[in-house]
Amino acid sequence: MSALLEIEDLYARVGDKEVIKNLNLTINEGEVHAIMGPNGAGKSTLSYVLSGKPGYEVTSGSIRFKGKDLCSLSTEERAREGIFLCLQYPVEIPGVPVSTFLKHAVNAVRKHQNLPELDTFEFLKTLRAEGKKLGIDNEMLKRPINVGFSGGEKKRLETLQMTILKPVFSILDEADSGLDIDALKVVAEGINALRNEHNSMLVITHYQRLLQYIVPDVVHIFADGHIVKSGDKSLAAELEETGYAAYRNE
Amino acid sequence: MPGLLQSKEMEGSELIWLEALRQKGEAAFEQSGIPTAKTEAWKYTKLRMLNADDFEFPSSEEQTCHCGCHRHDGEDEHCHCEGHDCTCHVDFPFEGYVLRFKNGAFVAPHPKLPEGVEVMTLMEAAHLEEDVKAKLGKLIELDNYPFAALNTAYLEEGLFINIRKGVKLEKPLIIDHLARPQDKNLFWNLRHLIVVENGADAEIIENYRYRGAEKSRYFANIVSEIYVGRNAKLRHYKLQDEAFKACHLALSAVQVKADGNYRHFCAQKGADVGRNEVVVKLVEEGAEARVDAAYKMSGWATLDTTTDIRHLAPHTKSEQLVKGVVDGDAKGVFQGRIHIAPDSQQTEGRQLHQALLLSDRAEVDVKPELEIFADDVKCSHGAASGELDEEQLFYMRSRGIDADEARQILVEAFLDDALMQVEDEAVRIWLKSVLQ
Repeated sequence: MSALLEIEDLYARVGDKEVIKNLNLTINEGEVHAIMGPNGAGKSTLSYVLSGKPGYEVTSGSIRFKGKDLCSLSTEERAREGIFLCLQYPVEIPGVPVSTFLKHAVNAVRKHQNLPELDTFEFLKTLRAEGKKLGIDNEMLKRPINVGFSGGEKKRLETLQMTILKPVFSILDEADSGLDIDALKVVAEGINALRNEHNSMLVITHYQRLLQYIVPDVVHIFADGHIVKSGDKSLAAELEETGYAAYRNE
Repeated sequence: MPGLLQSKEMEGSELIWLEALRQKGEAAFEQSGIPTAKTEAWKYTKLRMLNADDFEFPSSEEQTCHCGCHRHDGEDEHCHCEGHDCTCHVDFPFEGYVLRFKNGAFVAPHPKLPEGVEVMTLMEAAHLEEDVKAKLGKLIELDNYPFAALNTAYLEEGLFINIRKGVKLEKPLIIDHLARPQDKNLFWNLRHLIVVENGADAEIIENYRYRGAEKSRYFANIVSEIYVGRNAKLRHYKLQDEAFKACHLALSAVQVKADGNYRHFCAQKGADVGRNEVVVKLVEEGAEARVDAAYKMSGWATLDTTTDIRHLAPHTKSEQLVKGVVDGDAKGVFQGRIHIAPDSQQTEGRQLHQALLLSDRAEVDVKPELEIFADDVKCSHGAASGELDEEQLFYMRSRGIDADEARQILVEAFLDDALMQVEDEAVRIWLKSVLQ
């Protein structure tokens, strides 16, 4: 099994504040890792650092993705290489219909892979079929991205984007926030469908609930900008009992 | 040194009323002169370029189309001419009755028109139609509109369009104006008189384009007087895509009678100084107007949208949505006035201007004015300007979309809700593609 993502001695800051401190993490192809931790530990910051959000600066250490230096790539280049960030709070974009947006995204990725652009008919056929599985109807695909969508609809749309863009590494930041149990099952099913021996995931969550549906191979406890403990899936259950108090003052 | 007022031989000088009107225009312009920054209505839009001393009226040679294609014989075939002087070779992505102009003058022939629609040159009409005498110059107070006064002094070129009572025009009338600047500082005046009689329904599209050297200077001064009758409807769309050193000043003065409906949309992207001014008088109960616009600009241009909606009767309604995208060192100007006269009860007037600034040097100047003299009214205005949303940009980029492409998508989306006000879908798609 080869390493897909290798983070070594990573320090990163947002503005003047150092948030990631001496982080080490390796995720192999096909693995699902969960990162759990208290609020303010730097979990979301890690997701933005990995996806290259402007304002999130790596000060030292390295991140290698498929063996290449990730930090030298722009946000869009990372996406085209197969990194997908499923946002905790997806952004609303008035005036840009879901289908238009996704067509631009799919073709940008295909161009990068030297594949021809999809024609509109072919693209819409796939989009509608995948949407249907997630309970997203054709009307919703015509609406502007996330505008007026419920919390559940936003998360389903994030999952649809993941399905369509076929990333090799997905970062799921609090993928279950705002979801009731039925919606959670639909979203988890969509995400699990993408699991295979090549695709990896980093599941960021505060609660154990999500991990009952997306079962991780490795669980890390994250506090004060780095990993303080790692274990298998039983660690998540254990944490549910004990809480984060023990890790807060690391 | 010749300025904007120069002697010119004009058709129709034997008509006493017309000559009197021209003189009135000349006197009013002499009185006002070219507005300066001290003139309230023009304080944001600088007109320095009009102080040039080398303005010339185009020669008839410069106003003629030389392509010799059969379109000039009234044949409906494609013109294969690619010459810069040709007015004919442009086709629109929708059907319509095309009326062609070059450097401020009408280029024959008239298209074949359905029954109940009359189109003739203003000078033909001045001799034939009593209506022209009764209506020309009646919607504009010349003392307040210096360029309408100047235009009136040179009242000659332009069209009289009359949609007869109850006639529903199936296809739009397209007034296609080609500027073919020479290496001179050309200046022309165009005047249209448009009458949509009671119960009639029509669509008119004005297209201003240029070919040739884009750095050529010229000044196009355009005035339209528009009468919308009772229960009549006019959709009036316009694209201003003049050359980059041009000055394009246009005024549409509109009167709407009972239950009449006037919809205006102007897309501006060309010219160094471009102003689209619309004055609408809602004179009888139930009259409605929508005046919308979108502009997109960069360089050092100034694009100005000025509106004045006068609610002069009860139960009248108006709405305005103006959106602009300003880049480089450019400047967007929006001046919007809603006037509600005493006794114009139960009226509604709404206005919104939004601008997107794409550079640190870009500027917008906004002056909304509400003048309300009645108490039972619903009125609102709003203005906002901002930059592209960084979170939206990041979201799009995180899906693989190139940063420049993401910006372009967001800019298009920003203009989209203004464009959505264009009822005719084919025209909307055309304007949208031009503004991309």
